[in-house]
This record gives sequence, structure tokens and C-alpha cells, in this order.
Amino acid sequence: MRAEAHRRRAFWQILLLSAGLLVLTVISAGSVYLVNKAREDSKWVVHTIEVENQINALLLEVRRAESSARGFLLTQGPDFLSDHEKAVAAIVPALDKLTRQISDDPAQRENIEKLRAAIETRLDQFSREMTFVKQGQPDRATALIREAAAGNTTTTIGNMANAMIREEERLFRLRTLNSDRSQTLAASMTGIGSGLVVVLAMISIWLVRRSARVRDEAEARLRDANVNLETVVDERTADLREANDEIQRFAYIVSHDLRSPLVNIMGFTSELEELGGDIFRRIGGLTNVSADGSPLAPGAPGEIALEGADKQLSEDFSEALGFIKTSIAKMDRLISAILNLTREGRREFQPVKIDTRELIEAIVSTLAHQAAAARAEIHLEPLPNLVSDRLALEQIFSNLIDNAIKYLKPGVRGEIRIRGRTKLGYAIFEISDNGRGIDARDHQRIFDLFRRAGTQDKPGQGIGLAHVRALVRRLGGTMSVSSELNAGSTFTITLPIAWNVSNRNRDR
Amino acid sequence: MTQPVSIIMIEDDEGHARLIERNIRRSGVNNEIVAFANGNDAMRHLFGADGSGLVQKGNALLILLDLNLPDMTGIDILKQIKENKYLKASPVVVLTTTDDSQEIKRCYELGCNVYITKPVNYENFANAIRQLGLFFSVIQVPPAAT
Repeated sequence: MRAEAHRRRAFWQILLLSAGLLVLTVISAGSVYLVNKAREDSKWVVHTIEVENQINALLLEVRRAESSARGFLLTQGPDFLSDHEKAVAAIVPALDKLTRQISDDPAQRENIEKLRAAIETRLDQFSREMTFVKQGQPDRATALIREAAAGNTTTTIGNMANAMIREEERLFRLRTLNSDRSQTLAASMTGIGSGLVVVLAMISIWLVRRSARVRDEAEARLRDANVNLETVVDERTADLREANDEIQRFAYIVSHDLRSPLVNIMGFTSELEELGGDIFRRIGGLTNVSADGSPLAPGAPGEIALEGADKQLSEDFSEALGFIKTSIAKMDRLISAILNLTREGRREFQPVKIDTRELIEAIVSTLAHQAAAARAEIHLEPLPNLVSDRLALEQIFSNLIDNAIKYLKPGVRGEIRIRGRTKLGYAIFEISDNGRGIDARDHQRIFDLFRRAGTQDKPGQGIGLAHVRALVRRLGGTMSVSSELNAGSTFTITLPIAWNVSNRNRDR
Repeated sequence: MTQPVSIIMIEDDEGHARLIERNIRRSGVNNEIVAFANGNDAMRHLFGADGSGLVQKGNALLILLDLNLPDMTGIDILKQIKENKYLKASPVVVLTTTDDSQEIKRCYELGCNVYITKPVNYENFANAIRQLGLFFSVIQVPPAAT
């Protein structure tokens, strides 16, 4: 749901930005186009004005030629003649220029053809008049002028020129209008575009601010959730710690309180034993009077010769007491073991830098006697050093090496290997032997308190491995065994290279 | 000075009390043994009704103390004995099932003279008690402070 909204917002923003870009592009292109068009339109307007000018200039030249021709006719002054010739000479280039200028307009082209014809006719008349005047026949020239006036050539020229000017004026109006429209269009386009961009920018800003607000809210919620989570974790940790402490206290009190009646049982059993000794001594004394009649030393019933049923009774009595005492001793050992375990659980660990090789060598030297007795060799391979609790590590390794020596196959040279390597912040130790091995069924069992596996021909309480595993766990590590019956065992311990108090003792 | 030492035994377990008494007797100590099964009775005897300890002034005492009592801890009793000017000179023997090194250390810090862990091994226990008897017979318990 939230992801969906987020995606939608992102989509809208991208859309807005694209639209803004598009609008800007269109405005730019449009502006360029319109500006070009306006320039073109202005050029045409200017052109129209130029054409008008040219037409007027041409007319002026024609009138000049006409009037100077008349002046020459009247006065025959050379000034008029030269003036006339200059004007005539200017007419043709002016006409040509005009023709070039209006070449784009077919209507004007038609007009100019007519104008050209009229002007050429007039020029022809001029040259004939001039010739007559020069030949000294002014009458004929005058007649020619009259004839020309009757032929309306001048009027035709004037009309044609006027028509052309009108046409150009029409074009001028049209083109001015066009130019105005282009400019208005360009201006309005720029205006509308800018407005659109501003609107888009405002929408975009609004969207960004809204998304920022949403993000801030989400962050606040996340912070709250984190705080909550930490509180929950703290509560759970506290609960666990309390439960753990309670179990420790419980185990301690139970084993402690179990010991108290045991002291009585053992004590009074011993009392009974002494009493029994006294009783049987007395029986012995009654049935078999001692030679000198002196009292017999206590605790030495062997000195009294009991016979038959009495002897049987004494033996049964001693046997019963013997069983009771052995059981008490065993129970005492178990209770002591539990006490030690709970005490171990209460001990605060101190992480220190440990030279593992040195530590294990020291253990091996203390076990040298047992190793020699079992004809076992212990090989140490390079071992990684670590930061951990020294005492715990000593107990872990001495238990495992002691076990390895203890459960070798009789009659086979023992070979015990201790290997080490590191992986991802953990040190991995392997203690392997070529001993009697452990059946796969018992791989879990051997780690349980008071449980043992295989032939029960060695002394032990079934505590060592349970203790070792508890220690390894407290040090933040794990341990496992791989073994087959009669094929040796390998115990693998994984411990953090740099164990620190905070991650474990704090949980206690 | 010639007054015989009386042994104050504070022990809630009757069996333990009987065993201790028997073994003290067996080792040849015939001093008077006054037994208390709880802390309050013992405190009343030691400190008197006013709690000042004046009643025991000039008496030669040896105190056998169990740490696990039903109504109070032996540690508290030990502490009060060693803080009382009339009683602090009396030797205190702590006899308990705990062999926790922290607790042993605590007792010695509070001024206990001997700490004996009640062993289930009866021979060792009897031996310890006998040695204690020897200790009684050899050592002249000094008079309490005036």
C-alpha cells in the first residue's frame, strides 16, 4: 500500500518534469520559428516600401525627361539637353531594378510589362523629338509632342505606376498585418509557456513538499518502532535473565539443601557402622571368650572370630552399610557437580588475550603422565589466538584432551591432534583422536548432564562434556562432535575470536 | 580465668547437632554445650533481653555457627557477634554445608576464626571436630573484653 503510493508519487513527479521539459522545448522551438517568421514578415514590409519608392523614382525620372525635353524644345538650351539625356539614361536601369524587385509577384510582373511597353514607346517618342529638334525642325517635334499627348502615353505610364503603387500598398497592409500577427503570436506563446512552466514548477514543489512530509512522518514512525522494539527486546532480555537467575538460584538451593540431610544420613550411617561393630564384637565376646579377656580395639572386627550364622549376619550388615555408603558418596558427588556447574554459571568471565598454543601446551604437560600411561602422542598444529576467558578455555580444552586420552582403544598407540583455523571472525578448533569412538545414537546424549556412552569401564560422572558445552555457549560459541564407533572422534569448537563481556555477561 | 569454656551451638538440623555433639564428646571435650535450633533464641541468649551482650560479659564462649538457619542467616549473627564489644573476642567456628569460596572468604572477612565445611565423609568430619576439641583443650579462651 505504502510502496504503491510512493511509486505513484514518483511517477507523477517524473511526469511533471517531463511535461515541463516538453513545454520549454515547444516554447523555444515556437519562439525561434515565430521570431524568424516575424523577421521574414518585416523584410517583406520593407521590401514593399522599397518597391513603392522605386516606382516613384521611375515616374520622377520619366517626368524629368519629359519636362527637360519640353524645355529643350522651347529654348534649345544645351542644359536642358544634357538634363534630358541624364534622365533618359536613368530610366532604363531604374526600370530594370524595379523589374527585379517585383519578380516574385505575377500581378505586378504583368503590370510592369505594360509599363515597360509604355515607357519604351515614350522613350522612342523622346528620341524622335530630340532628333527633330537637333535637325532644326522644331515644328515636327512639336507636332510629335502633340501626337504623343493625344496618344496618352504619359497618362498610361502614370496609371500603370499608380496601379502598381496601389498593389504594393495592398501588399504593404497585408504584410504589416502578417508581421503584427507573428509578433503577437510569439509574445503570447512565450507568455503562456512561461505561465505553464511556473504552474508546473508550483505543482512539482507541492508534490516534493508533500512527499517530504510523508517521509518525515515515516521516519518518525520508524523511530518509534525502533524504540518500541528496543524496549521489547530489553523486556524479553530482562525476563530471560531473571528466569536464568532463578534457575541458577534454584539449582544452588536444591543442591545445597539436598546436602544437609545427606550429612545426617552419612553421619548416622557411620554411627550405625560403629554400633554394628560394637554389637558384633559383643556377640563375639559372648560366644567366643577372648583368651586374655582384654577389650578389643574398635573398628577391627576382623579380630573377632565369629562363626556360622553370626558371621553371616555380620557380613550382611556390613554389605548393607557398604551399599548405603557408596550410594551416599555417589549422591554427594552428583550434588557437588550440580553445585559446581551452577557456580560456574555464576562466575563472571574476563576476556583477555590468550596465546592458545601456550595454553594448550600447559594443559598437555599436566596431562603428560596420563598420556604416557595410555601410550598416546599429542600433536599440536598451528592455532589461532583469541580474546576470551582464560579459565573457561582451560577447562574446555583440558576436559576434551583428558577425554581423548581416557577413551583411547586399549592396545593401540593413541594419536591426538589439535587443529585450529579461523573463519569469519570465529576460531575453529578440532580435537581429534583415534580412540574408541562414539555411536551416532549417543552424539547428543554425551552432552547431557550425568549421561555417558559406550562401555562404562572408566571412572567419571558424566559431567565433563555438559560442562564444556555450557562454557562454550557462554563464550558465544558452539560445539559439535563427529565420530563413529571404533573410528575415533573429532570434537569441533567454534569460538568468537574477540569475545567481549558486553554481549554475554550483560545477559546474565 | 578458670571458668570453663561453654560451647554455644547454633544449628537448626537436629541430626547435625547430635552428630557434632557426639563427636565433640567422643574426642574428649566435656565442656558444657548449649544448643539452639534457631537464630533468634541464640541471639537472645548471647545478647540478652536488652541486646547489649552485657549478660555474657566475662563468660568464656566458643560459638559453633551454621550459616543456613530458618529465621536468619548465620552471616548476620557472625557480624553482630564480631561487632559486639563483649562477644567479639569469642572464637567463632562456622560449620556449614557450603564450600563456596566466596562465602568462605566473606566469613573470614567478618572475623570467623575457623570455617569447616560439613563433609558427608564422616571420618573427616569427626576428625575435624576432634581437632576442634583439641583446640579447645589447648587454647585458653581469652576473657571477653571488659
